[in-house]
Amino acid sequence: MKSAFRKLALGALVLTSLAALPAMAQSNVVLGVAIPAATHGFTGGIVFWANQAKKDLEKAHPGMKVIVKTAANAAEQANQLQDLLAVSKINTLVVFPFESAALTKPVAEVHNKGVYVTVVDRGLTDTSAQDAYVSGDNTAFGKIPAEYLAKAMNGKGNLVALRGIATTLDNERWDAFTGVMKNYPDIKILDAKYANWNRDDAFKVMQDYLTRFKEIDAVWAADDDMAVGVLKAIDQSKRKDIKIVFGGAGAKGMIKTLMDGKDPRIQANVSYSPKFMYDAIKLTGEARAKGEKLPATYIIPSVLITRENAKQFYFPDSPF
Amino acid sequence: MPPAPTTTAESSRAGDFARVLSRRIHEVGPLIGLVLLGIAGTYLNPDFATVDNILNVLTRTAFIGIIAIGMTFVIISGGIDLSVGSMAALIAGSMILLMNAIAESIASPVLVVVIGIVFALVLGALFGLAHGLLITKGRIEPFIVTLGTLGIFRAYLTYFANGGAITLDNEVSDVYSPVYYSSLLGVPIPIWVFLVTALVGGLVLNRTKYGRYVQAIGSNEQVARYAAVEVDRIKIATYVILGICVGVATVLYVPRLGSASPTTGLLWELEAIASVIVGGTALKGGEGRIAGTVIGAILLSVISNILNLTSIISVYLNAAVQGVVIIIVAFMQRSRR
Amino acid sequence: MSLAVEFRSVVKRFGPVEVLHGVSFRIEPGRVVGLLGENGAGKSTLVKILSGYEQATGGDFTINSTPHSFASSREAEHEGVVLIHQEFNLAEHLTIAENIFLGHERVKGWLLDDEAMNAAAREAMQQVGLTVSPATRVRDLIVAEKQLVEIAKALSRNARLLVMDEPTATLTPSETERLFALIGQLKARGVTIVYISHKLDEVERITDELVIMRDGSFVTAVPTRGTSRQQMANLMVGRDVSDMYPVKDPVPNAAPLLKVSGFSVPGWAEDVSFDVRPGEILGFAGLVGAGRTELFEGLLGLRPRRAGRVEIDGHEAVLDTPRDGVRHGIAYLSEDRKGKGLHVTLGLRENLTLVALDRYAHPLLDPAAERRALRDKVAEFGIRTGDLENRAASLSGGNQQKLALAKFLHVDPKIIVLDEPTRGVDVGAKRDIYFLVQRLAREGRAVIVISSELVELIGLCHRVVVMRAGRVQGTLAGDRLTEEELIAHATGTHDHR
Repeated sequence: MKSAFRKLALGALVLTSLAALPAMAQSNVVLGVAIPAATHGFTGGIVFWANQAKKDLEKAHPGMKVIVKTAANAAEQANQLQDLLAVSKINTLVVFPFESAALTKPVAEVHNKGVYVTVVDRGLTDTSAQDAYVSGDNTAFGKIPAEYLAKAMNGKGNLVALRGIATTLDNERWDAFTGVMKNYPDIKILDAKYANWNRDDAFKVMQDYLTRFKEIDAVWAADDDMAVGVLKAIDQSKRKDIKIVFGGAGAKGMIKTLMDGKDPRIQANVSYSPKFMYDAIKLTGEARAKGEKLPATYIIPSVLITRENAKQFYFPDSPF
Repeated sequence: MPPAPTTTAESSRAGDFARVLSRRIHEVGPLIGLVLLGIAGTYLNPDFATVDNILNVLTRTAFIGIIAIGMTFVIISGGIDLSVGSMAALIAGSMILLMNAIAESIASPVLVVVIGIVFALVLGALFGLAHGLLITKGRIEPFIVTLGTLGIFRAYLTYFANGGAITLDNEVSDVYSPVYYSSLLGVPIPIWVFLVTALVGGLVLNRTKYGRYVQAIGSNEQVARYAAVEVDRIKIATYVILGICVGVATVLYVPRLGSASPTTGLLWELEAIASVIVGGTALKGGEGRIAGTVIGAILLSVISNILNLTSIISVYLNAAVQGVVIIIVAFMQRSRR
Repeated sequence: MSLAVEFRSVVKRFGPVEVLHGVSFRIEPGRVVGLLGENGAGKSTLVKILSGYEQATGGDFTINSTPHSFASSREAEHEGVVLIHQEFNLAEHLTIAENIFLGHERVKGWLLDDEAMNAAAREAMQQVGLTVSPATRVRDLIVAEKQLVEIAKALSRNARLLVMDEPTATLTPSETERLFALIGQLKARGVTIVYISHKLDEVERITDELVIMRDGSFVTAVPTRGTSRQQMANLMVGRDVSDMYPVKDPVPNAAPLLKVSGFSVPGWAEDVSFDVRPGEILGFAGLVGAGRTELFEGLLGLRPRRAGRVEIDGHEAVLDTPRDGVRHGIAYLSEDRKGKGLHVTLGLRENLTLVALDRYAHPLLDPAAERRALRDKVAEFGIRTGDLENRAASLSGGNQQKLALAKFLHVDPKIIVLDEPTRGVDVGAKRDIYFLVQRLAREGRAVIVISSELVELIGLCHRVVVMRAGRVQGTLAGDRLTEEELIAHATGTHDHR
C-alpha cells in the first residue's frame, strides 16, 4: 500500500515540476472550482488553498481562468454548478462535493456537457460522472491514530473518543479506528459522542466525560479543533490521569505545539491537510493545459506526524 | 360613588388566591420540567447531582443565559434578534485581535485585558444601537435586519480569521483565563456574572419605568405611543441592552478557549430564543419573565449534559430528545394566553 | 315568507354567572323591532342565541311556531336568520366578494367561480350603496364601508330575519339615511328586522315596536309610535334620566388656554384655527373622514403635520411627540379604545399609571402606591370590576372607557381632548361621562369633545367647530347650535354668509 502511495506522490511531483516551466501558448482552460464555504478550520484551509492554487495557476498560464465558488450547503453548491456551466462557460471543474449523494446528479450533468471533472475528497455515488478523484485518506486518518494510541497505551487502558458530524467521512474514520482497536481487547472505548468538529462542543463533551469517567488514559479527539476544547476541559478539571490526546488533520497550532514539545499530552498527529485542494486544482489545471489526463484515482496519503517530521507539515501562512 | 362593600372585597380576596395559584402553576411549568430532568439525570447517572457537574452545567449555561436575558427584553418589546451568535463571534474575534495588537506596546497584560473587555462591551452596545436604529428609524422588520447582520457579522469574522481561528497570545491568555476558570466562594466567576445579570435584568423589567414601557410596547405599540411612551427610544434601548449582554457573554467566553473561529457562537441565537420562550415569554411580545428565561436556559443545557453522561440513547437521536423536552415544557404552560 | 320568532323562557349562563334570566317575548313577522337596553342588559347575548353563535342554557325559541336551536351560525343562516355583528367579522386580507361568499363559495367544477361571485357581490353592494369594486380588499376600506359590506353579506345570504347590532355606530348621516332606505325596502319584501341601537332618535324613526330589556330580563314591549325618547331612556335605565346633560355653566372670561392657528395635517386637515378657554367645553362636529381625529393626532405629533402655530397659555409650544403634549398639559383620548387607548392584555393598574409613570418611579416603581391609586380611581370613576388584578380586557365597554379616561386624566392635564368619549357606551355610563366633562371644565380646564352624536354636542358644549373635508366650516354657539345647522355645515349645504 505504502509504496503505491509513494509512486502516486512521485507522479504528482513530476507533473508539478513540469508545470513550473513557463507555458508555451495562451491557455483556453476555464476552470471552475466549487468548494464548501469556510465555516470551520478545515474548510477555511480548503478555501485558502483553493485561492492559492488559482493565484499560482493564473500566473503560470496566461489566459487560464480559475473561478472559485464557495457554498454554504448542498443546494447552493448545485446552483453554483449550473451557473459555472451556463454563465462562466467552464470546460474544467474541480468540485469538493458538499454531500456525496446530493451532488452526484448535478455533477453528472456538468460532466455530460463535456466538462472535465475532478472530484475532491468526498466521492460521488456514481463514479462515472468523474474523470479523476483526488482525496485525502480517511481510512488512514482513523487507522494511524488507533495504531499509535494502542502502542502508547501498551495495549490496555481506558479511552474516550469524539466524533465530528454524522457523515460518511466521519463513519469511514470511525470504522477504521475501531477496526484496529478490535485487536486490543484490553483497551476499553468508554464512549464516543459527536462534537461537530467544534471547539466549544468538544469542551462540553469532554467536561461531561470527565464527570462520568473517573479513569481515562487517552482521548482520540479526531480533529485538532476538537483537541483544543478537550485540552482546555482537562486543564480545568486538573485531572492528571489523561496521558495522551490525539487530534488530527495537522492544524498549524497543534503542529507548533508538537514541534516545540510544549504539551506532553500532544505526542503525535495525522496529516489530512486541506492542501490537497491546492494539489487537486493545480494538477487538474496543468494536465488540462497540456491536454493530458489525471490518474483516475489519486489518494493523498495521510501520514503519522511526530516531533521528528513535524516541520514538513507546518505552514504558518495557512489559516489552518 | 365608591362601590366597595366589604363583603365583595372579602370574597374577591378568596378568588384572588385561587387565581394567583392557577397562574403560578403555569409559571412554574419550566421549573417543574427542570426538577423532573434533574431527578431523571440523577437516576441515570449518580454523578449528575455532584457539585462539580452542577457547577460545570451552570458555567456553560452562563453565555447563553446572559444573552437570553437581553433577548427577553427584545422579545417582550415585540422584537427579535437573530444575530447574537454571529455578533458574539465577531466581538470575540475583534477583541482578541485588539488585545494581540496592543499587547506589544502596553507592558501590563492586565491593562490589555481591561481594554479588551471595555472594547467588547462598547462594540456590543454599538451593534445593538445599529440594530435599534435600523429597526425604528429605518422601519425595517427586526427579523430582516438581524438576519442580515447575522450574515454580515459572521462573514467579517471569517474574513478576519481567514477561515481559520483567531487565537489570543499566550501571555495575555494567562492573565485573562481566570475570568472564566477561577471561582469566588467556590462558585465560578461566570455563574456570578450570570446571577448578577439575571437579578439586574429582573429588577429593570419589573420594577422600573423602562421595564413597564417595554411590556406596554410589546402588548400594543400603538396604545403605548398614544400614552406618550417614547416607543423608538425604548426599542433602541432593548437592542443596546441585548448587545451589551452579548458583550458580557463574549468577555466570559474568550478566556475559555482563548480563540474565536467561524464556528464560535453557531446557533446561539436559536438557543437563546428557545430559552426565552421555554421560560414562558410570549414570542409575540407583551409579557415575560427573567426568572423563566434563566430556568429555560439551564433546562436546555441540562438536557445535553444528561445525554453526555449516559449512553442509553443513540447519539444520532440527541437532537430529538432536546426537541421533545422543549415541546413538553411548552405544553405545560400552553393554556396561559 | 316572513319569519316570526318567539322566545320561551330563555336562560343563559356563562359559568356561574347567569346573564339571561328566562326571557320570553314575541317578534311579529315582517316588522322592524327595536331591541333596547343598557350595556349588559343581555341584548347581544339573546340575538347571538337566535343566530346560532351561542346556545341557550335553558328555554328555547320558535321560528314560525317550530322550536329551533342552532348549533352554528351556518344552521341559522340556512333558516334565513342572519346577524350583523357590532364588531366586524370580516377577513381583512380578502376582497369584498371573497368575504361575502366566505364559506359559501360558488364553484365551477373544481375551481372557484370568481366571475359569478364578483357579479353577485356587485349586485348586493349596489343595494347597500357601496360603489367600490368587489375585488377591493377589505383592509383598504374605511370603517363605514366595512359596515356596508357586512350588510351586503347578509343580503346575499337571503336573510329573512336580519339582526343588526349597532349598525350606524360608524356611519355618517348620509350613509345612515341610505341604510334606513334599505331597511324600508327589506321590510317591504317581508324581511323581519331586529334593530339594536343606543341612538334613540334612529330607533324612534325606523322601528315599528320596541322591546326593552334590563339586567338580563324582558321589561316590556311597546309600539314605537307614542313612546317618547325620554320614556325609552327611562324604561331602559329603570329610573328617570331626564337630566341627561348637566346645566351649562357660563364660560369665565379669560384668555385662551389653547390657541391653534393655520394648522395643517397633510391629506387630512388644511389651515385649521380655533381656540379654547379655561372652563370651556368646545365641540368638534363633522362627518366620518372630515379630519377631526387626524387634526388632533397631528397636533400631538402622532402624525406628520406641515404648518401652523400652537400657543398654550399665551406661549408658543412645540409639540413633536405625545410626550411633549404631556409636558405641556395636553391629554388626548383616542376614539379607538382597544387599538390606541388601552392595553387590553395588561392589568388595570399598568393601564392606569402608564402615562403618569414618572410619579411612581423613585427610581424603582412602587407597586403598592400604584395599587392605592387604582383603588382610588376605581371608586372615583365608578369602574365596575370584580378584581383589581384583572386584565383590562375583562371590563365591559363602558368601564373600559372610564378606565381610559382615568388613565389620561391621571397626569392632571390642563387641556383635555376626548375623541368619541361615549361611543359604544350605554345610557347610564354616558351620563356619568357628561357630568365628568362638566366637572373637568368647572375645575378650570379646557375640554375638547369630538363626537358624531349631534345631540351630545348640543347638550354638552359651549361652542361647536364644524369641519368638512379637512377645513373648518364654521363655529356654532348659542341659538345657532342646532342639529339642522350642524348638519348643514357638516355637509356643506349651509348658505355662505
